[in-house]
Amino acid sequence: MTHARLTCHAPERTIARTIARCFALLSLALVAITPARAQDLIHKAPPQQMPIAITGGTLHTGDGRVIENAWIQIRDGRIADLGTGDRLFTADHILVDARGKHIYPGLISPVTILGLTEIGAVRATHDSNETGQFTPEVRASVAVNPDSTLLPVARSGGILIAGVFPRGGRVSGSPSAIRLDGWTTEDMTIVDRLGIAVSFPQVRPVTDWWMTRPVSEQQERIDENLAELADFFDRLEAYAAAKAAGQEIPVDQGLEAAMIVLPGENQKPVFVRAQDLDQITAAVTFFTDRGMRPVIVGGRDAPLCADLLKAHDVPVIIPGTQAFPKRADLPHDHAYTLPARLEDLGVRWCLASGDEAANERNLPHQAGKAVAFGLDPETAVSAMTLRSAQILGIDDAYGSIAKGKSATLVICDGDILEVASNVEWACIDGRVIDLQNKHTQLRDKYLDKYRQMGLIQDD
Amino acid sequence: MTRPCIALLLAVSPGPALAQSTSTSPLDPPPNGVRRIDPGYHAFTNATLHASPGQTIERGGLVFRDGVITWVGSLSGMTPVPDGATVHDATGLHIYPGFIDAFVEVDPPETTESSLVAHWNPMVRPEREAIRGPGIADSDRSQLRELGFVAAHITPRGGTFRGLSGVVSLGEPPDDPSLGDPPIYLDHAGNVVSFERTRGRPDGSGYPVSHMGAVALIRQTLIDSDWQRSARAGGRDIPRNALDAIDPDLPLVFDTDHPLKVLSAAGIADEFDRAAIVVGDGREYQRLDAIAAQRLSLVLPLRFPADPDVSSIGAIDALDLTDLQAWEQAPTNSARCLERGLEVALTSSKLKQRSAFRKNLRRAIEAGLSQDDALACLTTTPAHMLGVDDRLGSLDPGKVASFIVADGPIFDEDTTILEIWIDGHRHRIHEPTRDDIAGTWAFTFGQDPSHDGTLTISFEDGKPRVVGRSNGEGGEEIEARDVVLQDNRLSYVIDMPDGSGGVAVTIVFQGNRLFGTLLTPDGRVLHFTGSRAEQADAQPDEDSDEDDGGPSDVIPDRTGRRFGPYALYETPPQETALFVNATIWTESDAGILRDGWIFIEDGRISALGTGPAPRGRPNTRIIDCAGKHITPGIIDAHSHTGLFALGVNEGSQACTAEVRIHDDLDPGHINWYRQLAAGVTTVNSLHGSANPIGGQNAIHKVRWGAQHPDEMLMEGARPGIKFALGENVKQSNWGDDYTVRYPQTRMGVETFIRDRFLAAREYAQSRDPLRRRDLELDALAEILAGDRLIHCHSYRQDEILMLCRIAEEFGFTIGSFQHVLEGYKVAEYIKRFALGASCFSDWWAYKVEVQDAIPYNGPIMHAVGVTVSYNSDSDDLVRRLNTEAAKAVKYGGLDPHEALKFVTINPAIQLGIDDRVGSLEAGKDADLVIWSGDPLSTSSVCEATWIDGREYFSIEKDAQLRRTNEAERQRILAKLLKNKKNRKGTGEDAEKDASEETQAEPDDPRSAILDRLSLEYLDNLFDGHDDTCAQCSDESWLHAIIRQK
Repeated sequence: MTHARLTCHAPERTIARTIARCFALLSLALVAITPARAQDLIHKAPPQQMPIAITGGTLHTGDGRVIENAWIQIRDGRIADLGTGDRLFTADHILVDARGKHIYPGLISPVTILGLTEIGAVRATHDSNETGQFTPEVRASVAVNPDSTLLPVARSGGILIAGVFPRGGRVSGSPSAIRLDGWTTEDMTIVDRLGIAVSFPQVRPVTDWWMTRPVSEQQERIDENLAELADFFDRLEAYAAAKAAGQEIPVDQGLEAAMIVLPGENQKPVFVRAQDLDQITAAVTFFTDRGMRPVIVGGRDAPLCADLLKAHDVPVIIPGTQAFPKRADLPHDHAYTLPARLEDLGVRWCLASGDEAANERNLPHQAGKAVAFGLDPETAVSAMTLRSAQILGIDDAYGSIAKGKSATLVICDGDILEVASNVEWACIDGRVIDLQNKHTQLRDKYLDKYRQMGLIQDD
Repeated sequence: MTRPCIALLLAVSPGPALAQSTSTSPLDPPPNGVRRIDPGYHAFTNATLHASPGQTIERGGLVFRDGVITWVGSLSGMTPVPDGATVHDATGLHIYPGFIDAFVEVDPPETTESSLVAHWNPMVRPEREAIRGPGIADSDRSQLRELGFVAAHITPRGGTFRGLSGVVSLGEPPDDPSLGDPPIYLDHAGNVVSFERTRGRPDGSGYPVSHMGAVALIRQTLIDSDWQRSARAGGRDIPRNALDAIDPDLPLVFDTDHPLKVLSAAGIADEFDRAAIVVGDGREYQRLDAIAAQRLSLVLPLRFPADPDVSSIGAIDALDLTDLQAWEQAPTNSARCLERGLEVALTSSKLKQRSAFRKNLRRAIEAGLSQDDALACLTTTPAHMLGVDDRLGSLDPGKVASFIVADGPIFDEDTTILEIWIDGHRHRIHEPTRDDIAGTWAFTFGQDPSHDGTLTISFEDGKPRVVGRSNGEGGEEIEARDVVLQDNRLSYVIDMPDGSGGVAVTIVFQGNRLFGTLLTPDGRVLHFTGSRAEQADAQPDEDSDEDDGGPSDVIPDRTGRRFGPYALYETPPQETALFVNATIWTESDAGILRDGWIFIEDGRISALGTGPAPRGRPNTRIIDCAGKHITPGIIDAHSHTGLFALGVNEGSQACTAEVRIHDDLDPGHINWYRQLAAGVTTVNSLHGSANPIGGQNAIHKVRWGAQHPDEMLMEGARPGIKFALGENVKQSNWGDDYTVRYPQTRMGVETFIRDRFLAAREYAQSRDPLRRRDLELDALAEILAGDRLIHCHSYRQDEILMLCRIAEEFGFTIGSFQHVLEGYKVAEYIKRFALGASCFSDWWAYKVEVQDAIPYNGPIMHAVGVTVSYNSDSDDLVRRLNTEAAKAVKYGGLDPHEALKFVTINPAIQLGIDDRVGSLEAGKDADLVIWSGDPLSTSSVCEATWIDGREYFSIEKDAQLRRTNEAERQRILAKLLKNKKNRKGTGEDAEKDASEETQAEPDDPRSAILDRLSLEYLDNLFDGHDDTCAQCSDESWLHAIIRQK
């Protein structure tokens, strides 16, 4: 009925046609692999059968190197070989032409609640925050929803691996490393328990205008919080000592889970949230005094105590560059320059998004911001790949493109740090990933509506 | 010889105005028993008489009778003793006119005349009278007197329209009620108004809950009161009601708690042509350029921030320059306001402890307030301001005998107020201090001279210290303990040197003699006498002078435009400039110009092109942009930046079309500067989405450094208004208590909006000459007339289509759909009924109604022909709208030049400002951005931002400002880190706790939120993020909490 009135006039139609063509190209490429399906019904990738050969791309290995005109051979889910220049592959290979494109290790979102949340405003979909102050026993991997609509969306931005963190409370739980594809939680899990996640207490009373509590009361709370934290780790050490001495004691699931951070073989890190200077120095000394390995999550003021961090080789996970300076008089770009400042000071660091789980796909744009404000671009790539893998402790298989490592990588039609670029192809452990998601499906559905109405045309 | 002279003066002076010995009021009861007569006739002689500011009479005399001054003058060389007067020899004493506290809040009576019809809103109680209530509490009144106050301007506490203020005496009511109460000098001094908000009721009502709501309520109330008078004159019969108490001849007295509210007050007073007395909050120096331009009188509290915490490096690093400057500058406030020609009175109210008033007054004087000005601010100025200068404010014949008797200059630290006389009655404040016993005294027991000795008495912080020394051999100094001075009796204990016990001593002093008694450990009572040996010399100040009074103690001027980090002292000049060798993204049909040039003058683009640039005129600034890109200034179609009173929403009613977001604008918010640094030049400041019909929006240009919010308004921009649909307006995510307000469904949203438009249509078509003006319906009628654009928060396709049909039904065009996450499902309707759609590039998953949000939304709508923009709705996201535009390339494959339109010309079209901004074309505003490279690239940075042909931001200027900030910070920190004893301008010594002066008041609606967040901060539970600090510093985080997306 309204078609006649709604038909584009000539110039608009030209634009519309051009755009529709772009959409068509985007979607057609993928439709060939999997037909359009309803939301969160994207199929999981099958195990790799045939060897894959990627040729002709610019390879960003993840350790800071760039290899032009590279080729990569993938067999049994691993990188069998890689090199540069022309090379012929046997006919059994699936060939992926990456000429003019960029190849990166699959991006890692090291601190996120992906999989533990679906809809922000709906409590029923929240699984990241267990009640109680000390709950190291809970682990993320058992509750990640393999069919969350957020996972395919994150994948389309190049995020193939995530460090999923329980949060809330003082010792929030055990974070897990997962791959963003798999039929079950077990398929997805890379490492069940990466360590434990701790929120370090505030250690200094604040007197800003918004603080309603008097200094004396704050100090009491601070002392109380620190004492509780010390009590917990005292108990942990006592429990471990008792067990080591062969005493028969009932099982405490929390302490059992937390024992992995105690000194010893395969000691895992304590991921401790701290932003403020005094909080960071308190956290580092608190844990290193006990022989533990802290990783600072936050680190806004880390440049102010770089010596202490370096003395203990404490890395920092920066939760994104999209933050305000802590003071109005600080440079407007203070958060943008944090990665470059830490790099210059020689502190180990990697990048998380610090954003809502739904926005993980924009992680590389945050890295791009750091590049605009002084960071070397390959360091930025490394901060989303190899460095993240090292800090999470999964770099034996993930984080870089190297012979023998897992074939977990993405091909992008441009520089992945640029917003306008798109990830076109991805594989996890050699399994080729469907990059469609709920968003592309809704796009295709409604483009069809306007095609039916004659408001846009593919040609 | 003098006696007749004075007698003559007395004879010709007017008769007593107030008979103080017997009541003149027929309302007072008869005396109980016989009359008690006080002659009420006094003469003070030989005083240093400060008759009025700047007028000091040495050896002055003051005569008054029955509470009224009859003679004031110099007594040099004369000894006046008026017949019958009680003579008070005031030798060595100072007499000042009594102080007037220009703002003391009192509880008003709960009910007034029962016949008076009340206003529907309990916040509007203009009929309450301060003088009818319980008045000032006894304890407060006596405290005020101790500070030197003799009269007070009392105002009813609480509410928006609070009632009528009055001016009253602070005298103590006499014990005998037949003598009458202390006088009321003025029944009605003003209509008291404040921008107070309710904390909201559990069901979400409680209008007003925002500053803009309070402004609207005040304006509507004043309109109604004016209308009522004219309607009655026009023959309309309207029963007497509360609004009759609003008297157009009285000043409006505004109580404010923020410098921007002073400007709101001045705006209202101007609009309704009323005189304004504005009670400030002590921070007026921060916005002085704008305040000084207003027609108003100020009443200022002496409220100074506590010393910032410099106890650790961590604490120092958390200190914002704004707070450091506020700490340093606050004491200069009154002096700076006076320098700018403002009429200033002072109040002792609004302090945590009223007793700190005199100490703070001394700090104000140290910070530049002259003593004469200080006196004027407490006497003649408030008297004039309040219209009681015929009776109060100075010591002149005919005025009320209310004055201060002090033992020294009133503003000196060690001066004590001895007496306050009010209405001719004495109120004793302090007996003369006995520190006159300080010095060395010789005493003798009269028998064995070896027991005689000397006593040295000194005072430290008002506490006596006694050191004794015996004349006998081995007479060592012994310090007394437990020293107590009661009136003229000094008591103490001396420990025997041999450890045998303590000797109790009491000495009575009289003149230069002393009479002592002591009790020895073995029970003997001995007596001694003595006399003054020598007067104690004034001790030299122990503090080194080196650090005091030096040039470093001069507080530099940081008022107005100089306040806060990145302050631009002056508006950048409008330049004639030629940008050459640039890649120019015109965002017009001209596309991208390579090797292009732009010539700007008088704030406009005069010409642009490619190839050889025209020769600049002599004063043209040539800017070489080789390798750089120039784009139009970024336009954010959805902003809530810099709303100072947390004033995003007036969500207490389903329709609040009368409120204006501009009333809540803070031009000094640091996020404006941060946006400039990201190339943002124009924003659409919007009301929130808490109700179907929200408030009026405003188009602001990011004119950083603006003093008055109006300076940011884009001239000639098309008026608009915020509408909202879906979950927020039906209160879906507000909690289980919110189930009462209509609408609770999307069905009800439609009918509610239609109802308001029906009402507006009837209103607009009314032919009633006495039609009452209604601010809400005015705004809605403007929509119907096509003069006001709707910008509608929307999510689902059904509600988008619904509003389209409403627009069709009432025959207007919608400005923009905002967020419009399912716009891609009904793009054809948006294209037909709205100027455009303004969405997030890729937000989703945060609530149920965004489940179908997709990043292809913008490009699909664009493909169908809708004018699409990307907005921020976020103080953070707005800082990268250029790369947000790149998402139209990413998700829609748009040509980059077309994509950049999403944040330039397209929002301009939607806001109806595309004739002025949004593209680079000759004749348009010279609003442009220089980028280091491709504006859509994440690796590019904004290097300069121009608005109206003025360079508001550049990397070079920014670097300079950073250095200025750092120097300022270090300068003030150095002051703070000085030993406290060695520096002036110390804040409160009291334990610094968080609830200091700048804290939210307990009745502030945000206090509950703050309290919750403060606790969460201590718990580290802030939604998993522990970087609250970063955002707390500028209030924006609270927006995030309160605003619904």
